[in-house]
Amino acid sequence: MKKTLLLSSLAALLFQAGCPTQSAYVTDQPNRYIVSGKINIQDFDQAADSMINSLNDNWIGQGKLKSAAEGEPAILAISRIKNNTGQQLDTDMLTKKIRVALNRTGKVVTTTTLGLGGAEDPLAADKQKEGEFFADQKHTRGFDYTLSGKIIEDQARAGNTRQSAYIFQLSLTSKDGLAIWEEEQKIVKQGTRASVGF
Amino acid sequence: MKKLHIVPLIAAVGLVALATGCTTVNTVGNAQPVAQKQMVNDKRVLTDASLDRKVRIVGVNSAVNDAGFLKIQVEVQNTTRRHQSFTYRVEWFDQNGMLINLPSYTSIPRSVEGKESIFLSATAPTERARDFRIKFLETLN
Repeated sequence: MKKTLLLSSLAALLFQAGCPTQSAYVTDQPNRYIVSGKINIQDFDQAADSMINSLNDNWIGQGKLKSAAEGEPAILAISRIKNNTGQQLDTDMLTKKIRVALNRTGKVVTTTTLGLGGAEDPLAADKQKEGEFFADQKHTRGFDYTLSGKIIEDQARAGNTRQSAYIFQLSLTSKDGLAIWEEEQKIVKQGTRASVGF
Repeated sequence: MKKLHIVPLIAAVGLVALATGCTTVNTVGNAQPVAQKQMVNDKRVLTDASLDRKVRIVGVNSAVNDAGFLKIQVEVQNTTRRHQSFTYRVEWFDQNGMLINLPSYTSIPRSVEGKESIFLSATAPTERARDFRIKFLETLN
C-alpha cells in the first residue's frame, strides 16, 4: 500500500515537473523568444541596435550633427519607410526604437507635428498652428533631418532548409537633400521549423 | 566478410563528417600594427566553461569619440576547430553605476568559424555612459 502511494506521488511529481505551463512571460530574454522564418521582434531589435550604433558612431560621434538653432537639439522628421516584404509590418517597430535612442542622447528630438501623410499628433499640430497664427508667424522651426528607408525580403530554399533574409536600409537626409548617413543591416535566418532562441 | 566492408565505410563517413564540421580560418595582417589600442583592464566572471572554451575573450579596448561617446571593441576567438554560435549583450552604466535602459537593448547573435578571431564593437547610446558590461551566452538551439 505504502509502495503504491510512494510510486503514485513520485509519478505525480514527475508529471508536474515535466509539464510546461501554458503561457509565461519572457521579460528581457531575447534568447528565449520564438524564432520563426518570418520577420520578428528580435530582428527589429537587432536592426535598431545596429542602426543606433552606427548613428552614434558615424553621425553624432563624428560631430556631423547640425542644428538650425545653435545649442538646441536637431529636429528629425520621419519620412517614408517602405515595406517591400510580403508581410504586414508596422515600421514603427524599427523607427520608434531609433527615435527613443536618439532622444536619449539629448542631441536629437523627433517632430510629431510634421510627417508624411499628416501629423502623428494632430492635437499638437493644431496647437502649433494656433500658436503660429496668434504670433503672426508663417512657420515655427522646421525639421533639420528626415529619416527614410526600406525593408526588403529575400527567400530561398534548398531541400528542407528554408532561408529568409531581411535587409533593413535607412537614410538620413539633410535639408539640402543630401543623404548624410546611410546604413544597411542584413539578417539571415535558416531552418526547417520555428524554434526558441536567436 | 560483410563486416569487413562496413568498417572502411564507417571510417569514410566519419572522415567526411569531420572534414565538413571543422572548417578553420587562416588570417594575415600587419606584423607591426600602426594603430595603438587602449586596452581595458577587464574583470571576467565565467560561469559557462564550455562557452569560454568555444569563444574565448582575447581582450577589450575602448576609445572616446569626438562627441564624447564611449566606444568599445572586444576581440573573441573560437579556440575550437568547429563553427560556433553565441549571443552577446552590452550593458551601459552612467557615472553613478546606474544601468542605462534602451528599447533596443537586445542580445545580438554572432557566429565564428573554427580558430577564427572576430571583433565585436559597440558605441555607447549616450555620452553619459562611463562603464560597460558584456554578457555572452551560448545559443539555445
